[in-house]
Order: sequence, then structure tokens, then C-alpha cells
Amino acid sequence: MGYISGRSMTMTMGEKLWRVHWPVLIVISAIAALGTAALYSVAGGSFQPWAERHTLRFLLSVSLVIVMAVVRTEVWLKLAYPVYVIALLALALVPLVGVEALGARRWIGVGMMSFQPSEIMKIALIVALARYYQWLPADQVSRPQWVLAAFAMIAVPVVLTLRQPDLGTALMLSAVGLVMMFLAGTSLLYFGSVVAAAAAAMPLGWSHLHDYQRRRMEIFFDPERDPLGAGYHIAQSKIAIGSGGAWGKGFMQGTQSQLDFVPEKHTDFIVTMLGEEWGFAGLMFLLSLYALALTFMFLMAMRCQNIFARLVIAGTATTLFIYVFINVAMVTGLVPVVGIPLPLVSYGGTSMITLMAGLGLAMSGYVHGRDASQRDEISRSW
Amino acid sequence: MFDQDNHEREAKRRFSRRTLLVGAGQMAGLSVLGWRLFQLQVVNHGRYAPLADENRISLQALAPKRGRILDRNGLVLADNEEHFRATLTPGLAGDVAHILSLFRRIVPLQHDELEKLVRRAKKQSRNTSILIATDLSFEQVAEINLFAPRLPGIATQTAWRRKYRQGPATGHVVGYVGNVERVGLDDDAVMRLPGMKTGKSGIEAGMEKQLRGQGGTIKIEVDAHGHAVRDLESQEPKEGRDVVLTIDAALQKRILDRLMRERRASCVVLDVTSGEVVVMASVPGFDPGDVAEGISNESWQRLVNAEDKPLLNRAIAGQYPPGSTFKLVTALAALQKGYADPDEHISCQGTYDLADHSYRCWKRTGHGAVGFRQAVKESCDVYFYEMAKRLGIDALAEMARKLGLGMVYPCGLPQQKAGVIPDGDWKRAQTNTSWLGGETVLAGIGQGYVLATPLQLAVMTARVATGRAVVPALERGGQQGRAFEFPALDIDERNLQAVRDAMVAAVNEDGGTGVKAALGDAQSIVAGKTGTSQVSQASSDSAQDALTWEERDHALFVAFVPASKPRFAISAIIEHGGGGGATAAPFVRDCIEAVLEAFPQHGQQG
Repeated sequence: MGYISGRSMTMTMGEKLWRVHWPVLIVISAIAALGTAALYSVAGGSFQPWAERHTLRFLLSVSLVIVMAVVRTEVWLKLAYPVYVIALLALALVPLVGVEALGARRWIGVGMMSFQPSEIMKIALIVALARYYQWLPADQVSRPQWVLAAFAMIAVPVVLTLRQPDLGTALMLSAVGLVMMFLAGTSLLYFGSVVAAAAAAMPLGWSHLHDYQRRRMEIFFDPERDPLGAGYHIAQSKIAIGSGGAWGKGFMQGTQSQLDFVPEKHTDFIVTMLGEEWGFAGLMFLLSLYALALTFMFLMAMRCQNIFARLVIAGTATTLFIYVFINVAMVTGLVPVVGIPLPLVSYGGTSMITLMAGLGLAMSGYVHGRDASQRDEISRSW
Repeated sequence: MFDQDNHEREAKRRFSRRTLLVGAGQMAGLSVLGWRLFQLQVVNHGRYAPLADENRISLQALAPKRGRILDRNGLVLADNEEHFRATLTPGLAGDVAHILSLFRRIVPLQHDELEKLVRRAKKQSRNTSILIATDLSFEQVAEINLFAPRLPGIATQTAWRRKYRQGPATGHVVGYVGNVERVGLDDDAVMRLPGMKTGKSGIEAGMEKQLRGQGGTIKIEVDAHGHAVRDLESQEPKEGRDVVLTIDAALQKRILDRLMRERRASCVVLDVTSGEVVVMASVPGFDPGDVAEGISNESWQRLVNAEDKPLLNRAIAGQYPPGSTFKLVTALAALQKGYADPDEHISCQGTYDLADHSYRCWKRTGHGAVGFRQAVKESCDVYFYEMAKRLGIDALAEMARKLGLGMVYPCGLPQQKAGVIPDGDWKRAQTNTSWLGGETVLAGIGQGYVLATPLQLAVMTARVATGRAVVPALERGGQQGRAFEFPALDIDERNLQAVRDAMVAAVNEDGGTGVKAALGDAQSIVAGKTGTSQVSQASSDSAQDALTWEERDHALFVAFVPASKPRFAISAIIEHGGGGGATAAPFVRDCIEAVLEAFPQHGQQG
């Protein structure tokens, strides 16, 4: 069961590059380019300090995607579990040796570098689950013991990230994991019971939230409670976005986001600046680009023959979606403030590297995991 | 088997089905966002737009005043001159060209200047102010403020300009400031202010952190025209700290006047007890004031490309073959390792043969039988060829590093060069070939690959004079008065004394190569070593006078004084000066006289 199409063995480098899904890379690049423009504007019309670094980092990640794409999927398949275990160990180590920043321990320093194990886990969980379902025979997917095993693979890192505390990542890991279980074919009955259990556990969960998390929730439901703290930020963010109107105030013409009313304007709150300067039209254009990227990725997944490739692609797409959804929803006051950046646009390396590494894996699956005849098979399955 | 295939196909179909479902769910999610944005930006735009206009609290960064740079006697080397300037915030001005044309009636602006400013304003964020005029008179400021209602977006401020009071005399050490080119992620917000300057070279760059201070902020409520209504809260900027240098500017000027007779030269004077650099001179020089205040691109290019490289601080960035001054290293290493016996005499017939190759002594006729003291005093090459051969390159390199060569010092000066102390590993890394015996012999007299800066040679001399690991310092305080607190070098005192004694002989006895550095009878005794480093092949065959300037040897001299109780170490290099004994030694003599006059308590032999 665990083998993958033999075609990849015989492909030349040229063929592999030909098989890369370039349109999705072009869309992703367009999004990153908008990010560069936004960061240029946030800095008051300067490539320093953010726009230049953002661009360099993106170009590096694109080469990473291409390099990862031409590596045989079998290699990633072999690495899947080890990477997952390492990420898990690192996560478990964070409370012991991690560096504390802003009241939470999320980082581990290794020599000169420091990294967030929770970021690695975002990719590690996707590959590990995909590897798992690649191994599991199709008729076993809904057996209770195998469902439980998959559930445990998701639950352990979720619990570990919750303890850091990092609610945003924990939510993201659970959502991506559950979507992958769903795509792998787990019976709908299980999802029904999980939803029921979650509803029942809600009051219990509330008591386990950290103070700051609970405060954010309360402020979300009642912004007047804290007009100068987190509620103030959301109010200012809404004013900035709303004042942009349909067509925006124009590139570098914003007053709100540029005048320091909005916090974190170059990272998590960059949408406020985009909304103010580029208006509804600009934000819709950006959202359409994300939608296009997601569509391309799901089409890629459906064209792949092996489960590993399909799930890795779909898992990465889901990660991208969750980033975008939670970020925009947070900034527009639809959901409480959780620190999640707008992928490929916000300044900050980790989310971009995470996504692009996922895309690299997905692309490797796409390059090696489909045949020309695949098209017919898909159409039959409709 | 058939059953398995069936399952596979069913699984695939199910995957596609569920993928479409998940994809559709995500599109729905994005649509929710779109709907939300439509509400905020289109439906409720009318509610938010006035709210945004009411938000008129502007946060401004306040630049700190840069610290001064003083010499050891409190003489100001660099400070700040106050002047008035005007800035314009495009977002508040509206029609930038119109406002500028009004402004022009008060402060004259050339037409092309005006156009340049308009273009700049368009390129930048409209909330970032740009500098439009500097050096305004008091009357102009008063007039601008009087007409303020008609000049929205224009503001006047007090600003500071860097002044370099001693001009070229301390140009290399002090360095200069320039416009901020790169803003780091963690940099103070003031770095993005218009007209902000940071250190670009010398102490200005090396001690940027202390000099700059910390920016402050001020929150201002402004009216619709951008004029301040009231200050809400402010945090004063923290002024930069004054930096007091160890340099004696008056002495440095005197020594430079003497050194200016040469085309390219450098000299370092070090207080061996504290490591303080009292003089750091480099010729030719430049006036940092010219560079700091908006030098034209043309003049800048001329400075950068000038043949004699006036911007180069030769004292720390000029790397020269140390020539015979390096024999101090060879001599000490040979004594330390027991290869040199003061009683042993080596025969010098003017040449030294090693593996089919013949190496010459500077004295063609040979020195005859030379002992250790005479070899140093008369700088006999053959003697040191032999010592270097006995030592091997590794032992030689070890002693060179022990004496402070081949490294940069943490003394606050960027742009220091490390020089080269070669060994087998170094050569393999550079050329991928192995070390040759002949190269050791050349290294023994400071030729071949060996390179050192004047500052390093002064440190080497100070370490020989004190037997301690002297490290140079440029900022006063901290090290001052901590005489002989540098750790001992782990070199036998008798060996050090033998070298020092030979250095005294080189300057004070007939036949010594450095006799021209000796002071008058009643004065301090100078210990020194000459160096003549060959830079062209031609110079080994002809007299120096017959050569063109570029072909002539570099003249070097290192010395410490007073010989009995060392206080100052001096190194000097005169590029293409001919012989160390002929050109560098007399210069060092004048230099030492000046130093001892400036520090009279050390002028008399104790």
C-alpha cells in the first residue's frame, strides 16, 4: 500500500520543472508583491526597514519551493514521521528551555538562531497525517482505533501549544488536522460527535483559558469594556478600514494607519492600511488572489494519484485559508484578536516560510504524484 | 485484489467529493470576509470617514542632540551648531507646489530646487515631512510663523549641525556623520526623521551608540490644517553622551605639520602605561566638515578616487610590510625558544644561501661575525634569516601575535585592518599551496607576506617596552591611570631586556641604524628600530636617489622613550621615503621632542 507511482524515478529535471504548477506560484508572487507595496507604504514610502527584507525573504522562499518540488516525494514520505517526532519533542521542550517573549514561551534558541517549534509543527502535522493515511488501507480509515490514532496525532501537539500558551496555533492545528481527517474519508459520524462534545466542553474550556485570552473574548463581545486597550485597537482598525471607502485614499495617502493609531500596522494589522489606502476594491482584489490560489491548489490535489500528495496539498491550502480568514476576520472585528498574520503580506518571516515550505511539499507531490492519464480518472469520479 | 482496487477508487472519488466541499466552504468563508468589508467600507463608510478625520493626534519623534567629541585636554573636536530649518508635510499642505511658491517669497529657492522638492513630496508618504530649507535667519523664521495660516504643512524647527572644530588635523580619528541610508528593524524611530545623521567613519561611527542618545516622542493634537493645538504628552529625547578621546589634538597638529612634508605617511604615539593613543596621524588628510554637510557627488568622487587616498586612515587601515621593525619579533622569539645565544656569532658575508636561493643582506659587503646585540643594532639581515630558519614560521607567527600583530583592537574605531601574520594554514587558505622554507626566511625580516598597520607596530613596540599585553584605547576614562594593569606577556624579562638594550644601541651607539632618532645629550634616551621595506624589485639594485618615488622603499621606525622607564611608544611610516634610518628616524626624533614637550614630566632622564 505504501508505494508511490514509479514514474517519478524516470523523470528528468526539465520534465519535473515543466510539471511544476507555475500558475499558483505566479498568484502567490502577486500576493507577495502587494505585500511589498503595502510595507513600502507603511514605512512612509521607503523600502527600509520592511519592504526590502520582505521581498528578499519571498524570493528565497520561492527558490525553496522549487527546490523542494523537484525532490522525490518518497524522500518527504520518509522524513514525515521523523520531522513530526522532532517537532513534538521541541514543542515539549519549550516550557523547559524556551525563551520567554511577551509573556509566552514559544521560542527555542539553537546557537545563533531561534525558532518556534509550533511553526514547524504546522508543516510536520500535515506531512505526518498525510503519511499516515498513505499507509492506512482505504477500508480501514473509519475503524475506531485508526480514527483514534489520527486524533491523537492532532491532539498531542494541540495540547502542547495550548500550554505555551498559543491559542492561535492550537486552533489552526486542530482545524487543519480535522479537515485532513475529513478529506481522508473518516466517517461523518465522528465529526458529528466531536461537534457535540465540543459544545458540551465549552464552559469547561472557558475556565482553562488564560486571563489574557479570556479578556480578549470578553472585549470582543463587549468592546466598551476596554476602550483604550485591545478594544481600542479594534475600534481604530475599523475606523481606518471603513474610512477607506470603496476606492481607498490612494497609495501612501492613508492617515490612520500611518499616524500610529493602529498597532502592529506592519504585521498582524496590515489589512487596516490596505483597507484605508486601497479601499474595498483593493481588498477584494487581494481576497480574489487568495481565492484563486486556493482553487488552484484544490485542483492540484484532485489531480494527484496518491493519498500523500493529495492530503499534503489540501492541508497546505487549508493552512493558507485559515491564516487569511482569521487575520481578516480579526482585524474587521469578526473574531477576537489572536496574533495571526496575513500570509505573504504581513512582515515577518515565520508564517511565510511555513506556508512556502508547505507549498514546496505540495508541489513535490503534484510534480511526482500524477500521470497524464489521471485527468480521465478524475472526470470519471465526478 | 479486486476488492482492494474498488476501495481505492471509491476513496479517490470520496476525496474529490469532500475536497470540493471543503473548497466550497473556504470560498464561503472568503465571501463572509468580503461581505464584512463591504459593510465597513461601502455601507458604513459615511460613519467611519468623519471619525477618521477627528483622529488628529499626531505622534512625532524628537531627535536627540548628538554628544560631543573632545580631546584629552577638553578641546572640542566635534560638536553641534544650532540652526533653524523648515520642513513640509505634504499631507497637510495639499497643493505642495503652491505652498512652496508662497514659501519662496520668504526663503529664496531656486526653480529647480523647488521642482526637486515637489517630486520628492510625491514620492514619499504624505505624512512624512521633508526638509525644505536650512540655515534660516531669525527674521525668516518669524515671518514663516507669522504667515503660518497661509502656509499649511510648513513647520520650523531648531536643528543641529555637526561641526568639526579641528578640521583635517583630527579628521581620520573623529570621522564624520552622513545621511541615514539604511534603517534597521530595531532602530530608533528618529532614524527616519528628515535630516537625521549617523556616524559613517572614525569615532563617529565606532561610538555611534553612545554619541547618538535616544529619541523622544511627542503626541500633539493638531487642527485640520496640521497646526498644533496642544501637546498631549511628551517624552524628552535623551542627549548623546560626550566622548573624551585620548588624543592630544594640539600635539597631533604639531606632528602633522612635520609629517606633512611627506606625501603619504602615518604616525602613532601610544602611552604604554595605559594604552592611550595620544597621536594618530595620517597624511594626506581631509576635513570631515566638508564631507558631513552634503558634499557634492563630484567632490566626493574626487576624494574617494584621489591617488593618495586622503580618506584612508593609514594608521589603522594602511597595511605595510613592516620590514626590519619586525626583527624585534624574530629576535624575541629566537631568545625565548633558545635559538639565539647572545654569545653566538653568525658570519654575514652579505648573502645567505638556502635551497638554491641566495638572500641578500642590506649591507652588500657583509657585517662579518655578528652577535645578537650587533645584529639588532645594525639590522643584519643574514643573522635574522638564520634565526627565522631555526624558528620556523609557526614559532615566528606565535610571537608576532603575542606582540599584538595580526589583529584588530576593540578601541572603538571601525575600518581597522588586521594585517597579515602568515603561517602554513594561512597560505593554504589563500593560495592552496604549502609553505616554503624561503618564505619563513623572508618573514623573519618582515618582508614577504607579513603586513602590519602603524597602530599595530606601535602596540608591538609598547609590548616589547613593557612586557605586558598593551591594548590601545581611544576613549579616555576606564583605562586611565591603571599603569601596568595589562597582564604580563609570559616572556622572560631577561630576553625582553636584551632586545630593549639592543634597541638603545641602535639609536645611541655609533654604527646603529637609528642614530638619527637620538635626542640631545641631556635628554631622554630613545630606544628604537629602523625598518626599510622593499616595495619594488628595482630598489634592491639601485641607490634610492636614482629611483622614481613609487619605486622607493617605505621608511619605517618604531621607538619607545624614555628607554629606562618607558612611557611612550611611537611608530612611523613614510611611504616611499627611502631608508628607515635616513627618513623615518629623523622624523621620529622631532616627533618625540614634541611629545616630551607636551608631557614635560617625562622629558628628563629619571
